[in-house]
Amino acid sequence: MTAEHDARPLYIPVILGTVRVGRMSDPAARLMVDELAKRAGVETELIDIGRLSLPTNDAGQAIQDPGFAIRMERADAIVIVAPEYNHGYSGMLKHVLDSCLKEYIHKAVGIAGVSSGPFGGTRVVENLLPVVRELGLSTIFWDVNFSHVHKIFDKDGALVDQMFIPRIDKFLKELIWMAKTLRHGREHIALD
Amino acid sequence: MADAMICPNCGVAMNHHGDKLLYEDAGAGGGHDSALGGAVFEFHSCPQCGGTATRPE
Repeated sequence: MTAEHDARPLYIPVILGTVRVGRMSDPAARLMVDELAKRAGVETELIDIGRLSLPTNDAGQAIQDPGFAIRMERADAIVIVAPEYNHGYSGMLKHVLDSCLKEYIHKAVGIAGVSSGPFGGTRVVENLLPVVRELGLSTIFWDVNFSHVHKIFDKDGALVDQMFIPRIDKFLKELIWMAKTLRHGREHIALD
Repeated sequence: MADAMICPNCGVAMNHHGDKLLYEDAGAGGGHDSALGGAVFEFHSCPQCGGTATRPE
């Protein structure tokens, strides 16, 4: 890649995928932002879907939040922090994701599952894969699974179990590699 | 091949890197392909600013 290409930092926002009061995905999402922010050449921020005000009686561009769409257009990759609700994803997360399309094409996505039980959102991750594929995103093959989430973070949201740091490191390395590779492809490799 | 899209921010030719079949837009914005049963849209990205654009095939 050229020096000019490398000069533009990667932008990888983290989507907090629930609007519920008391959500334990909040400290998980903030941890992902903090770990991303440590990476050279990466800009990030938290996108709290609870702060978006999308109508629920339509879909797609008709209800698009301009700020969210601009961030998705700028993004080279996204991290979705998704709590598992009855083996599925939050309806509001799906509603927000569905409000964009062209902004996602050939960009990388990594998913962190969150659950109060032992499986760390493995089922919500699996359920999200066909959704993000149809949206044109490219999934990585590392996940982060925050199982027993009430034990991982203290009451102030600080990480208690430091074993998550090396797991997140592997996840982010793969995501950043994909983000760089797909940016090069989007901008320099023609379809035909 | 169609003319390259020009980035509205940078004025440079964008890279056509993907096509996607959209059923719900069939007939609405052109590009309808009866064989595929929907409208094919092209996706383009700017090599300078990374901006994206789309148009019917």
